[in-house]
This record gives sequence, C-alpha cells and structure tokens, in this order.
Amino acid sequence: MKCTRRSFLKLAGAGVLTLTLGQLGINIDDAMAYAGKLKIEGAKEVVTICPFCSVCCQVIAYVRDGKLVSTEGDPDHPVNEGALCAKGAALFTMYTSDHRLAKPLYRAPHSDKWEEKDWDWTLNQIARRVKDARDKDMILKNEAGQTVNRLESIFMMGTSHASNEECAVIHQAMRSLGVVHMDHQARV
Amino acid sequence: MPKSFLIDTTRCTACRGCQVACKEWHDHPANATKQRGTHQNPPDLNPYNFKVVRFREHLNAEGKVVWNFFPEQCRHCVTPVCVDVADMTVPGAMVQDRATGAVLVTEKSTKLSAEDVQAIIDACPYNIPRYDAATKRLTKCDMCIDRVSNGMVPMCVKTCPTGAMTFGERAEVLEKARKRLESVKAEFPKARLIDAEDVNVIYLLAEEPEHYHDFAAFAQR
Amino acid sequence: MTNHWIDIKNADAVLIMGSNAAEHHPVGFKWVMRAKDNGAVVMHVDPKFSRTSARCDFHVPLRSGTDIAFLGGMINYILEHECYFKEYVVNYTNASFVVGKKFSFDNGLFSGYDAATRSYNQSTWAFETDEKGAPVRDFSLTHERCVFNLLKKHYSRYTLENVSATTGVSKEDLLKVYKAFCATGKPDKAGTILYALGWTQHTVGVQNIRASSIVQLLLGNIGVAGGGINALRGEPNVQGSTDHALLYHTLPGYIALPLAQWQTLAEFNKANTPVTALKNSANWWGNRPKYFASLLKGWFGDAATPENDFCYGLLPKGEKGEDYSYMYIMDKMLHDKMKGGFVFGVNPMNSFPNTNKMRAALDHLDWLVCSELHHSETSDNWRRPGVDPKTKKTEVFLLPSAHRVEKAGTISNSGRWLQWFDKAVEPGGEARNFADVFVPLINKLREMYSKEGGVLPEALLKQNWPAKYDAEEWTRRINGFFWADTKVGDKTYKKGQLVPAFGNLKADGTTSSLNWLYCGSYTEEEGNKSKKRDPSQTPMQAAIGLYPNWSWCWPVNRRILYNRASVDINGKPYNPAKAVIEWDGSKWVGDVPDGPWAPQADAEKGKLAFIMTTNGYAQLYGPGLKDGPFPEHYEPAEPPVERHPFSGQLRSPVYKFHASELDKFARAADSDYPIVLTTYSMTEHWCGGGETRNVPNLLEAEPQLYVEMSRELAKEKGIKNGDGVIVESPRGRVEAIAMVTIRLRPFTIMGKTVHLIGMPFAYGWTTPNCGDSTNRLTVTAYDPNTTIPEAKACCVNIRKADKLTEIL
Repeated sequence: MKCTRRSFLKLAGAGVLTLTLGQLGINIDDAMAYAGKLKIEGAKEVVTICPFCSVCCQVIAYVRDGKLVSTEGDPDHPVNEGALCAKGAALFTMYTSDHRLAKPLYRAPHSDKWEEKDWDWTLNQIARRVKDARDKDMILKNEAGQTVNRLESIFMMGTSHASNEECAVIHQAMRSLGVVHMDHQARV
Repeated sequence: MPKSFLIDTTRCTACRGCQVACKEWHDHPANATKQRGTHQNPPDLNPYNFKVVRFREHLNAEGKVVWNFFPEQCRHCVTPVCVDVADMTVPGAMVQDRATGAVLVTEKSTKLSAEDVQAIIDACPYNIPRYDAATKRLTKCDMCIDRVSNGMVPMCVKTCPTGAMTFGERAEVLEKARKRLESVKAEFPKARLIDAEDVNVIYLLAEEPEHYHDFAAFAQR
Repeated sequence: MTNHWIDIKNADAVLIMGSNAAEHHPVGFKWVMRAKDNGAVVMHVDPKFSRTSARCDFHVPLRSGTDIAFLGGMINYILEHECYFKEYVVNYTNASFVVGKKFSFDNGLFSGYDAATRSYNQSTWAFETDEKGAPVRDFSLTHERCVFNLLKKHYSRYTLENVSATTGVSKEDLLKVYKAFCATGKPDKAGTILYALGWTQHTVGVQNIRASSIVQLLLGNIGVAGGGINALRGEPNVQGSTDHALLYHTLPGYIALPLAQWQTLAEFNKANTPVTALKNSANWWGNRPKYFASLLKGWFGDAATPENDFCYGLLPKGEKGEDYSYMYIMDKMLHDKMKGGFVFGVNPMNSFPNTNKMRAALDHLDWLVCSELHHSETSDNWRRPGVDPKTKKTEVFLLPSAHRVEKAGTISNSGRWLQWFDKAVEPGGEARNFADVFVPLINKLREMYSKEGGVLPEALLKQNWPAKYDAEEWTRRINGFFWADTKVGDKTYKKGQLVPAFGNLKADGTTSSLNWLYCGSYTEEEGNKSKKRDPSQTPMQAAIGLYPNWSWCWPVNRRILYNRASVDINGKPYNPAKAVIEWDGSKWVGDVPDGPWAPQADAEKGKLAFIMTTNGYAQLYGPGLKDGPFPEHYEPAEPPVERHPFSGQLRSPVYKFHASELDKFARAADSDYPIVLTTYSMTEHWCGGGETRNVPNLLEAEPQLYVEMSRELAKEKGIKNGDGVIVESPRGRVEAIAMVTIRLRPFTIMGKTVHLIGMPFAYGWTTPNCGDSTNRLTVTAYDPNTTIPEAKACCVNIRKADKLTEIL
C-alpha cells in the first residue's frame, strides 16, 4: 500500500542518528540516551490495524529482516491521524511477548498437564470428534417430521477478533456441519 | 532553535497512550505494581517510566467533581539547574543539546556519587530525575532525541489522541499556548500556563497547580 | 453507527449515555473533542464520573438501569415544549400512522400479554390498514390513535418528578440535559447520541436504544451530519462479524436463520420478504430473495441450481422460538446436552455473567477446542482454583492463534468502513489464523465423509470449499461473482468476474455473494476497495469530513445512513452548511444517497426516505419487538427498590432468565444485597483482559481488580481507600481493592438512599494475584429480543475483607 502523507518524517530526512560534537557540546561517545541508530531506520512499513476497539486505528508496523521492530499510529489515516491509546501503544510488546502460545497443546481427560502436539495430529483428532458427534447426533427430522438437518451437540463461540474473511469461512464451515449453536461477542 | 511541548491538560483524557508509548519506544520493562486505591500506576516516575499520568480529584466550589490528569515528564528547562549541579562534580554527566534544548543524561552520569545524584534530584524544581541503583544511572525523559533529531515528534506526542500534546519550535509552541489559554478561559476562568518562560514543556492547567500534582509548578517548591 | 467517527465533529450537541467513550474508544473521542472545539455541548449521563465525564461540559449521574425513565422524560419534554422538528416528523416518521383498535397500554402492560408464556401477542399492536393493506395515515396528526398522539399519551407519565424519583437525577440536571440536547430539534442543528454496552446489557437493552431512536427522530437528527444513533461497537470486528453473522439467528447479510416451518426456499422467501402497499416505498428488503440465492450460490457453487433450491434443503433449520445463543448454549452444557465445541478469541469463563455457573457448565463437555494467544480462564478451566483436574473429564485442544499483525484481511470499523490490513510478519511459533484452522479441518472432514460415508455427507461435500485459505480470495467471494456471462448497462461481465454492486445480484443462480452488503467492495474496475487510501473529497464532502475515497464502507460506500432524511422532500439540505446530499435537479451530489431515486416529493419517481423499512417511514412506534411498541421503564431483574412510579409492573414482563440451581436472584429491595453493582472495562485492558493482562506495560498501569465506591458507602461499611474488600451477590463472591472516590455518589431514589458501586471485569485467575472474574456476581437475566445479559445492573453487598487470597 502506498502512503500519501507522512508529515512526521517531512521535517528531516531519515538517517543514522549521529549528533555532531558541536551540536552537543560534548563528545558523542559520552552520550547514552541518544547514541545509536534510530530503531526503525531502514525498516519496511506495513499497514496494519490495532486489534482492539472498533475505532480500528491504522498502525504502521516496522519490519526488518522479517522481524517486527516497532509499531506506531499511521499519521495518514483520517480517523486516528497517527494517534493510539494505551492498548494501541503497547502493540509491539503484545506481539513480541514470550508468554504467547507457540504450539498446539492438548489436555487429556482427567490429566493435570498440557502436552505439546503437532498440527496434523491435533486437526485429525478434532475432525474425528466432530464427525463422531455429527454422525451420532445429527437431527435429520424434527418431531413434526420436518427436515431440519441440525446438529445441536456442537457449538461455536466467538469471534469478533476474526477478519471478515475468517468470519465468512467460519460461518460457512459451521452451517455445513449443521451447527445452530453459534454466537459471539455481539451478545455480551 | 529549541523545541517545546505544549501539554494542554484541558484536552487530556488520561488514556495513557503517552505513558505506554514512551515505555515501548524506550524498550523499558514493566514495573510490578499494585492497586492502591487509585488509577495512578506506577505511583511515581521511575527509571522505567519517564512519563507518568497523574490523577487527582476534588470537589469544586459548586460541589461538582473535578478530575485532573497530569501527564508528567521532564520540563527540559530553558536554563537547566540539573546540568549546572552535575557539572560541579562530573562535567558532562548531564548536557543540554543545543539543537533541540533537550536536557540529557550522558554515560558519564554513572560516575556521579550517591550524594551527587541526590543533589541533582534535589535541585530539580519539578522533582523529575530518578536514580537506577542497579545500573547506577540517573534517568529521565530524553525528549526522544533520536526521533526528534530525525524530524519525528517524540513518541508521547505522536501517540496522543486528543491533541493534548503538541511539539514544535519553541516560538510557535509559545504562541499556540497563549492562544489556547485565551480560548479555554471561557470554560476554565482559572486556566494558566505553567512557568512558560522557563521551561520547554509548557503545561496548560485549568486551575491551581496543587489540584494536579505537588510539583506541577516551580512556585510549589 | 448510523454515521461514522469523523462525523461526530459535526454535532452541535453530543449526548454520551450508556458509554464511557473516552475510556473505551479513546482515539474516537478525539472527534468528540473536535465537536467541543466547534462549540458543541458535550454531556455524559452515566452512573460513574469517568475519564469521559472529565472532558464533558457536564456529567449527570444516573442510577444504572433507569435510562428509559431518563429518555422517556426527554421525549415528554420534546413533546410538551414542542421542540420536535415537525416537518421531519410528519414526512419521515410513522407519527401519522393510525394504530389498530386492539392496541392498549395499562399499568405497565401492553395489549396481548400472556403471563403463562411471558410473551405478547404482537398482532394486537398492528397498524390500521386500508382495503389495499396500506397503513392508514393522518398527516394532520390529530387522530387519537395516530402514533404521535399515542406517543404523547404514553410519555406524558414521564414527568420530571417521576423521572427524578426513579433515576436519582435532580430535576435541575434533567432539565440541563433536556434543554441542551433538544435545542437540536431545528433544521440546521444536529445532535448525536453515542452509546455502547451501557445500554445493551440490560433486560430492557433494545428498548433503551429504541428510546434514543424516538428522541432522535423527533428532533430530526437521523440521516444528518453530526446526528445519528451511534453504537460505539466494542470488539475490533464486532461490526463485521455481526454482518457476517457469527450468530445463531442470522445468516450473513441479516438474512434470518431458516426455520423448520420453512421447508422450501419459496416458503422461506414468502415469510422473509416484506411487501408494501405503498408504491413510493422502496421496501429494500423486498430484494432479500436475490441476496439469499446469491449467498447459497456462494456456499454451494455449481451444486446450487434453481431446480434444487440452491441446496437450501441442506442448511440446518432452527425451531421457531428456540434460543441458540450463548446463555442457552451454556445452560444446555450444564444439562449435558452439549458434547463439544469451539471457543475462538473469546473468554466466556471470565466475561459471561454468573461465571461460577459457566465454569461448572464447561466441565460437562467431552471436548473443547480453543484458539488463543495465551492460556485463558476458558482454555484452562479444568485447572481453575479450587478444583482437582483429575475430576475434570474435558479434553482440550488449545491452538496458538496468530495476531493481527501476522495475518491479512479486512475488518469493518464502527462506522462500517471496510479496511484492509497487510500481514507484516509470519505468525509467531506455529500460530495460525482462524481460517487456517477451519479450512483444513473442513477438508479433513470432507475427506473422511468421502471415504467413510456418514450422516448427511452432501452438506459438506457439496460446499464450494477451497483447498487452502487465501484471505483476498475470500474478500472476492464475499463481494461475489457472476456465474454466467451477464450484461450490465453496456458492459458484459464474463462468468467468474466480480459483481460490481448489489443491485446486480439475482435470485436465479447467475450471481453469488457471501454477503450482499459487501457487494461492490471488490470490483473488476477498481480492485480491492478496502485498500483505498485516497484522502481526496469535494468541498461539499470536505465540509463534513466524509472521506469517500478512503477505504470503502457498506452499503455502496454510503457514509451516513438514512441520508435521504437530511434533506427536505424536494432534496434541499436542511442544513446547507453541513449538507450530506443534495438533489441538483437530476441527480444527487455529496454522499452516496440512500437509493438513487428522485426526492420524496416527486410523485412518480420519488421514494420515501427510510428505504429499509417496509413502508418507508422511520418507526417512532415499533410493533416488531418482543417487549412493546414503545419503550417503558422497568426495573432491572434485581431491583434495589420494591416499586417505581410508572406502573405496578416492577420488572419487564417478558425478560428472559435461567432458573437452574446455579441461577439465583436477589429479591426486590433485598436487604441482604442492597447495593447496585455496575460493571465495565477500562482503557488499559480489553474486555475480559485475556490479551492485555499478558502485556506487562498494560498490567503495570492497571494491575489488580478494584471496586469504585462513594465515600459515604465506604464510611458506612468501615472501608478505607486501598482496603481489601469482599463483594457478594446471591451467585458469588469476589475480592477487590477498594477505590473510595468522590466520582461515585449515593443516589436518592424515591426518598431512599441507594448506593452504587462499579467494578471492571478484566481480571482473571490465570494472571497471578490480580483477582478473578467480577462476573461471578452478575445475573443470568437477559433482554427478550437479543438475550444479552444484564451485566450492567445487579444487586450485591460489600464488606471489608479480613484476608485476601485472590489479590496478593
């Protein structure tokens, strides 16, 4: 995506930060707070959107060598105009948090621990449980004899965190299974 | 030419975008905090919070609730006393950048003794610098000198949603501050600029400084 | 939102009620500040003085659960003082419609009430119709049964005395708000109402919003710049996920869930396609069969043919009146009627009411699939405090979820802007987006059904389903394709090309669209419009900050809904300085108008302003809801009082609730639970806090659960600021830290002191020592129309704690 207005960079060309001796009146080697490169120097700018409230502030993600190096508000966006709140301002450490889940986990019945599993095993297990429940519990006809093709024993909850595209996938998937117990955050 | 901030507290919603953005830009780790009966957390400036939004509430003369927010940071004084005090023992431990007016702590500050550090802290009219015993560093707002030197505004200013914070050439900011003061007087007759002639971080308060923070203005010292 | 974020700046009056806008939409609030800069009066009506109140011209504290009383008083004020915009009311609302003789209202009950089923026979509320079926209208507004006069009669009871006694707001404060907001009942003035969950999370939630609609329609504030009823939607894509219907009761694009009684597509269409006898009513939902056929074509592709009802028969059918929502899912789970399910990007074990019941219910599942960024109170429910995992049978699959910056796609903001986000980095670890879970999962199931057979395999096998997920392919599917070469104007589209706009969707299987509202968002001519970043506007558009070339918004890039009501019946803007649209004699300029037709005054080509209603008029009187055609004050399910001055009907006669052994309720004015509790979120945490508690810089700012209370209550209970306290309801017990503040004050309700406390619900046990779910206190009572739980008002008690175990 092309950005049209970058007022915050207009004032000066981006470059390696090396304040001159004369500017500072001291030897640059002594300075600490301002020594070194600007951390977003040379990083690729990718437009993303803050994942919280429905203002949907646009955010510039600075990426270098496939790694996120910083995030800040997109100054071109007519709604947020570069601004972010506390949550939006914390996106960088939210993404880089080492507390995040990294692998599929499995908790067996009555177990007291999680076990790491691979995706293929996990999806096969889930598919088997869905099929077993669907084959057993699918209601083809209701008491009145009307065709209903309804699976009542499986539910879907969430997710307003999904993109429109993901929502379309999830809705179609659920209805194809016959799921009617489907609900999300519009109702809490 | 020196740069200045205008922090217009009549626009601040205490969203704390500035407080968090500052930490994120500086890669500062979080402090362990506790709920103590106030929204203000961390309780004070510290080596990992160059900026803290202070909350203070009171009932006004009409019995109405007033809740004031004070996004506190180093004022980057026009004539920084801290630099003078530091120079008495370790010259260059603190400097004032000629290009921006930013008052900065340098690597030499690690050579300051505990007494020297205390003298600097005591000298600050606004009670800003904090000492990090672990790294032996004196810490405070650096005006995002890396950003400013590259033509960008400080991270707190960039993040502010309501226009409570602006940044620019000192003369222009002063002009803006005076104009804004005039326009808010209709709603806040007691509105004032704080120490505008002496600092590069100019606060516009809606009422007396004591309703914001014990060290909001020089006169409170 | 009927309008959009930037448009708030155009308001002359901003009423924030049922929302804490500055804390929950901090960046959106900049547009409230701009309105204030432009001279608007900004008001906050809310139980608590918050960061929003701090930036308003004034704050008016209101007892939680009394919004209809407050707004009813405003409706009465408008009618008594004739502040309404008469021309607008007559031309654009159903004020002139004559209501049938069966309608009545007596002592808090509307006609048609059946106490045994706790429901109304809504047919008694119907309009009087002529021999052609058209509503009888009296444009002089003199007929005693016309809506306008029924409205006057209904709200004449909402006197300042009654409203003040119920809400706890002084008469002076009531008048201050009424006067300031009702000054916008002039053609060139606009007032906007901003609301959020503070209105929806009540047993009268829908009627709270209905009451605001009545205010806005009387004042002529719908369709205009700076006006509207603006739901500040909470979740990031709750707008889009509602449009795309991750909900039981609709299919994408607000098409009803098929019911058993509609066995064929024709039966469905007959029941779901409104018909009007007014020839100048656009009756837009008359197009629904085209949208539904296109949806089915999108789902079933080549397998969907006119001969097989486009596979309509394969869709699941619900039972009429059966509730398949969250609360019912949980109750059925508790009663062992659920085997397993998917919980993606939501944390019900923290954010659902009466959490102790919910946590117990989840134990009854055989299996659970969660997709999250972090362990949550839901994924780890089997090891929650106080339980032995060995006794919990549920198998849990916890999938690592990709974060926003790790995926691409579109989301729809509160102003319905469709915005694209790029993938910046690869997902961390083995994390996946949600679609990369469901696309392969369905493919595995299709393979299993092909090989093994099973029940109703064709419902899966006939799906138009991809081998792999590609976000932008789905953006295109949502927009929709032609399935046969089709001529539109002088241009021929080939089979497989994108449909340019929803006006081109057909009911014959030659088009597909996974959501008609989004048709036109991705076209052959302009590509993916959600990626548009062009700030250009005409001077007319710039005057109101319309930004029509920045992204795209549904429907058809119309930025302000109902904008035909911003002009008079000849198409001249009521407020030329902030015109939304204008008829230049041959066409509309400005925003995309609500339909291309000539203005309403044109007897031949013109259409009525409100094109989404069957008869073309906005509904002051709404005969389609479960709880009455006019909003009426009822107390919450747990009232802190035994009576109120409006009727003998204390609570809503039709609100829903559950009654298992885990669903307990306090009595009215229960001396064991005399304090009103309201719950909320805050800037620094997101809803249940599952994401933000795991961001150290946010947890630092708001580390632990607190309860905000008045100095008066604290004194009464011997609680000091910062003390540990216990809050109890009939359903649970929660530890919190006391925040004693002047920002909450006791209410005087009918002469009696009622205390109100407030607590966030962002804390949960998976984050050590921060406290646990506040929702352990809240009620399982719901709005009868939506089944949204009443999280904003229940009754509790509070005491100082000897010792804390949840907060350390």
